[in-house]
Amino acid sequence: MLHAFFRSTLPVLPLLLVLPPVNASSCAMGNRTTEIRVKYENILSHDINELVNMSAEDRDKCCRNKKNGNIKVFFCNDTEEIESLQSMACNMLRFYKKQRISKALREKAAFVSCGTLQVLQCKCRTKKEKVCPDVFRIEDTETSEQSKKKCNQEVCELKENISSLRSCWNKFEKLISR
Amino acid sequence: MAQPGTVLSVFAVVLHTALGESGCTSADGDGTLGDDEPDNFDIDCFSQLEIKDSFSSLTCNFTELPPYNTNYTLSLCTKEDNDYACSNMKKQEDVFFIQFIDILSNRDVCMYSEMKRRVCRSLVITDIVKPEVPFAINITYEREANEYLIRYCTPHSRKKYLKDKLVHQVAYRQKDSTWKTIESPYLQIKLLGQNLENEASYEVKVRSQPNGDYFKGTWSEWSTSKSFRTAREQHSTENYSSVVMVILSILGFMLSVAMIALVVVFWENRIKPAVWPNLPDHKKTLEQLCKKPKNNFDTSFNPESFGYVHIHKVDGLWAKAELENFLQPSTAPETSLPEKFRGGSDLKMIPAMADKTNLNLPVSYEALHRLLGTSQHAATEGSCSCSTYEICHSNRVPQHNDGFSLSSASPLDPSGQPHPDPLNDDTVSQMLPNSDTRSPNNEEAYVTMSSFYKIQ
Repeated sequence: MLHAFFRSTLPVLPLLLVLPPVNASSCAMGNRTTEIRVKYENILSHDINELVNMSAEDRDKCCRNKKNGNIKVFFCNDTEEIESLQSMACNMLRFYKKQRISKALREKAAFVSCGTLQVLQCKCRTKKEKVCPDVFRIEDTETSEQSKKKCNQEVCELKENISSLRSCWNKFEKLISR
Repeated sequence: MAQPGTVLSVFAVVLHTALGESGCTSADGDGTLGDDEPDNFDIDCFSQLEIKDSFSSLTCNFTELPPYNTNYTLSLCTKEDNDYACSNMKKQEDVFFIQFIDILSNRDVCMYSEMKRRVCRSLVITDIVKPEVPFAINITYEREANEYLIRYCTPHSRKKYLKDKLVHQVAYRQKDSTWKTIESPYLQIKLLGQNLENEASYEVKVRSQPNGDYFKGTWSEWSTSKSFRTAREQHSTENYSSVVMVILSILGFMLSVAMIALVVVFWENRIKPAVWPNLPDHKKTLEQLCKKPKNNFDTSFNPESFGYVHIHKVDGLWAKAELENFLQPSTAPETSLPEKFRGGSDLKMIPAMADKTNLNLPVSYEALHRLLGTSQHAATEGSCSCSTYEICHSNRVPQHNDGFSLSSASPLDPSGQPHPDPLNDDTVSQMLPNSDTRSPNNEEAYVTMSSFYKIQ
């Protein structure tokens, strides 16, 4: 009789792997578009603009010469803007510890990533948001560090990620402002 | 028997759980049932955004001292999952202060006592914003509009979050008087001079507050006061100058109108002749130049006016010798004259010829023309030294041969009667000696302009 039980239930197991949604949203559900919009317009958009300006200060020539084949590209999918922003923010957090990127730029990038996750009330699958308290706890160290890092692949990837994040936020903001 | 026990145990567990979720446990959540601190503690906090670069600050102070007069510490905490991530606030005299960069997260202010109990209170950083103090107040008086322009600055103009998100309050008063306030979202306002006293001293100060669209909070501290003195009444001087200007403009207008009228009135008679004189008309000029003869001497260039005059044709020139012959005794020419001279006119001519001083007959230009054209230039003897084809005046002044000039008024005929007999060509030569004869007699020979027209 036991073998009959397993025979009947065992085929169900593979279904458990398929039936659940592939991209389970780790963001808070609920209609929070108004709260998201006001937080983005009044606070987060200014930080994103500041980050873009900082990113533009780096030499742009090196990233033109670099091969873009290895750079991971993120798309802002229609009807999945929140998930796209979550992916971009979580990916950008991995640059927080990269020493080959200037400290000011990677701290600002991490700050924007954590702010995005906070506004969207999302978490990263690999728990990358665990660094956010450290990011928010950055003390005011008078660092006049203006070390110009050499052009490297990570800088180019980060700049590409920043650009994608801003574009996706603009798209999402227009969508929820209607 | 075992079933009632199971039910009771389950009920106890459920009850415990329910009580736990309702918050009836101790405030610190550690499960102890000791004396709990009050959930609410009286503190007053305000936040200042971007106080230093990207850092914002939170400042708190106790409005009432803790009841147990013990040392407390305040922390700014963020709830993460089921735990708090806190940062201690620094105590500066009677206030607690902390800087941070995240203004998006929901924050709690937790008070820690010496008993290591924690009491937390939630707050929203963006709802307790206190802007920075405005500065650089500038007052400018606009004389024409009689207004006082008050301008000021705020540090948030150069920052991200509160730029264009503030409302400003301007307070002004006369010395030792009550304050009056005006609110504006802009960085300048105008005070009307008519609402202020003249030649009085005023002072102005400004403060700011979030406009409430997203950021809320309290008024900032007042800026330092700026004093100014209002201008004295400008009406009298302004009116005087304006009246003078009006009078001058009216006088200028009237003067210009008068000038235009004078120009129009005197244009034809005086101005135009002086500025643009007419070209002289030779005809009229000559008429004016010539004096009218006393004895009905008609001088005119109009051939029509000499319609009554008989034009005697002269056919040819007389030679000098013949002229001299004519100057011989008076009878001789009488007989030698051709018949065609006979007539009234001819008879009249004869005594004229005899009398050299009188020239009674006119000599037509036509005759003279022929005389000049055919005859030789021969000087005549006698009292008249003119040539045969020269016109001599009565005063025996020879005229040049380049043209004819009018003689002075000389009578055609003493009788003034016309000579009806026309002259023939043959009589031209006969006329010549007459002219020569007459010239020494101061007979005036003249040529009428009408003959000029005919010859031409």
